[in-house]
Amino acid sequence: MNKIKTLALTTIISLSSLQGLQAKELKVWAWDPNFNVAAMEEATQRYQVKHPDFKLKVIADGKESIEQKLHTMLASGVTSALPDIVLVEDYNAQKFIQAYPGSFAPMQKTVDYSKFAPYKVEVMTLGENIYGIPFDSGVAGLFYRRDLLAKAGVKHADLQNITWDEFIEIGKKVKEVTGKYMLGFDVDNVVMMHIMMQSGGEWFFTDEGDLNIIGNKALKETLLTLKRINDSKIARPVSGWSEFVGTFNSGDVATVTSGVWMSASVKSVKEQSGLWGVAPIPRLDLPNAIHASNQGGSSWYVLSTSDNAQGAIDFLDATFGGDVEFYQKILVERGAVGTYLPASTGAAYQQADAFYDGQKVYGDFAKWIGQIPKAPYGMFTQEADSAVATQMPALLEGMDVDKVLEQINNDLKYQIN
Amino acid sequence: MSVKKAKLHRLYDVNGWMFVSLAVGLIALMTIYPVIKSLWLSLHSGRGVVTHFVGFDNVVRLFYDPVFKKSLVNTLVFLAIQVPIMIILSLSISSCLNASNLRFRSWYRLAIFLPCVTSLVAYSILFKSMFAFDGVVNASLLWIGIISDPIPWLSDPFWSKVTIIAAITWRWTGYNMIFYLAAMQNIDRSIYEAARIDGVSPVRQFIFITVPLLKPVILFTCIMSTIGTLQLFDEVVNITNGGPANSTLTLSMYIYNLSFKFVPNFGYAATVSYVIVVFAAVLAFFQFKVAKDK
Repeated sequence: MNKIKTLALTTIISLSSLQGLQAKELKVWAWDPNFNVAAMEEATQRYQVKHPDFKLKVIADGKESIEQKLHTMLASGVTSALPDIVLVEDYNAQKFIQAYPGSFAPMQKTVDYSKFAPYKVEVMTLGENIYGIPFDSGVAGLFYRRDLLAKAGVKHADLQNITWDEFIEIGKKVKEVTGKYMLGFDVDNVVMMHIMMQSGGEWFFTDEGDLNIIGNKALKETLLTLKRINDSKIARPVSGWSEFVGTFNSGDVATVTSGVWMSASVKSVKEQSGLWGVAPIPRLDLPNAIHASNQGGSSWYVLSTSDNAQGAIDFLDATFGGDVEFYQKILVERGAVGTYLPASTGAAYQQADAFYDGQKVYGDFAKWIGQIPKAPYGMFTQEADSAVATQMPALLEGMDVDKVLEQINNDLKYQIN
Repeated sequence: MSVKKAKLHRLYDVNGWMFVSLAVGLIALMTIYPVIKSLWLSLHSGRGVVTHFVGFDNVVRLFYDPVFKKSLVNTLVFLAIQVPIMIILSLSISSCLNASNLRFRSWYRLAIFLPCVTSLVAYSILFKSMFAFDGVVNASLLWIGIISDPIPWLSDPFWSKVTIIAAITWRWTGYNMIFYLAAMQNIDRSIYEAARIDGVSPVRQFIFITVPLLKPVILFTCIMSTIGTLQLFDEVVNITNGGPANSTLTLSMYIYNLSFKFVPNFGYAATVSYVIVVFAAVLAFFQFKVAKDK
């Protein structure tokens, strides 16, 4: 009797492993070959050590192209060409989850979400279900040129706990002494606005998903601060992303406030090694505003149409959701800061970076990740960004900020239903 | 005899229908079905695949949607300014290039027609770099001394519209010129000869002989250009991306945003696309009316 039991058991085990053997190759859609794609390939290699049969192929494509393909395929219901795993930007996550119900696989049965930064888990939660594995963080920092600021007599210690008004004063001094602008500024670029508003603990929407524009203190103060920066003439006007990156790569501006992912662009000019430093972002002039915020970041989602959804979830859970060593490796090689909290105690996070003059920048970023205020990104962030960008010229020309907020509110009212 | 004829008729009918059935089937599948389906779609609203029937609510929404109004106004501004400039420009260029005593005629024709064979995206990116704040256009204008400060071509609401109009005029003038050249070569030389003998100046020859005789072609190019400008998409996406502050957002780009950038509302996007259909039809109707012989 016992023998039969063991026999049956081994048959089942070998059968299931046979099924594992026959499991098809997993397909992944991701953008940015040096960052997301590289991280996914690294995860695959590590997973293959224990699961030699595991096969995965990353298909690299542009971010907008991936979003567009996902929209058309999910809307048409033609699922045969969909991948098993897809990368989605956090601001768009709720949009996909809510617009195509049942298309993504919930993972809370497998994944322990308490080990991830809470603000990341928030964007992938709908009702009781949690979809996706949080990946990189957009934790914000103030990247600055040590040499230029030093000429104006500003040291690293002077950049701790400052407000944006103090930032402007420093900028005026820098411009006076060095002739360089303090920052590049593009009215259509939402990075600064997102960072400021989230550091004030609010977003365009309430937790219930209603509009939060009129009476949004963080947004109002953000707009006023942007206007003050623009009025102070410390900002170099730019148009478009490549021109924006060009301002600090060419050494025309002294600082850039952005998510940690900007580090890759900052470090792309080898000659500037040792000249840069990272400080906490300045604080909005509000009682509850803090020095930590976020911009961007994305996460991995498993499509429920996948033949091997559970296999994909297990793979993601074992690597992105549990492999501390993996996060050390992608941090050192790619500068990718994950949101898996246990990883931040690893050795790589305590490493000094010569490009930043020996500052332990990733230790700082990891510390700020835990402080990022939660924000209900909702599904309409793109619409709100567009509405704010539309009113920016009027604001900078001197329109009353309350009127601007009212106008943004009006524009959005008819867009979100 | 008559029975035989009727039989023959039926044979022809059946055979004829069989010949066209493939084409009819394909048109029904590829054109008629999508048109009806999109009309049905425009009566729905919702998020992604979660949609419900709303009847004409989408049309009502158009009247309240400030972004739609903005994109409509932008598109009409492009239309009202760009199409006349381009038509007049290509008419006068083709008239000059039709002169028989002009040397290197085919070289000029090639040079002006060449922009049409470039890819829309490629030339848009080229224009973007030329019109950048520190681009070659500003540099040349500064060097000549026409301006003292660089013009913010891409970051100012007014100048970004100017840039877009300049770009599409460069791209499409040569295309229209080819139609006019072909038509001009069909005009009888003796008409001009008679006019010359009567002492009509070349400018008056152009206005009173060439233009009236080209009227059908001018009508055709006007309608085609109107439809093309109503569907303007590639240039604005690649040169200004609709900015700054939505000042170059066109209807087609708004449809794209509604479907792929914002929360996907394919029903409302279909409604906006029908606005383009209605405008194209109405404008073509008026152009026919205006061009009709009295």
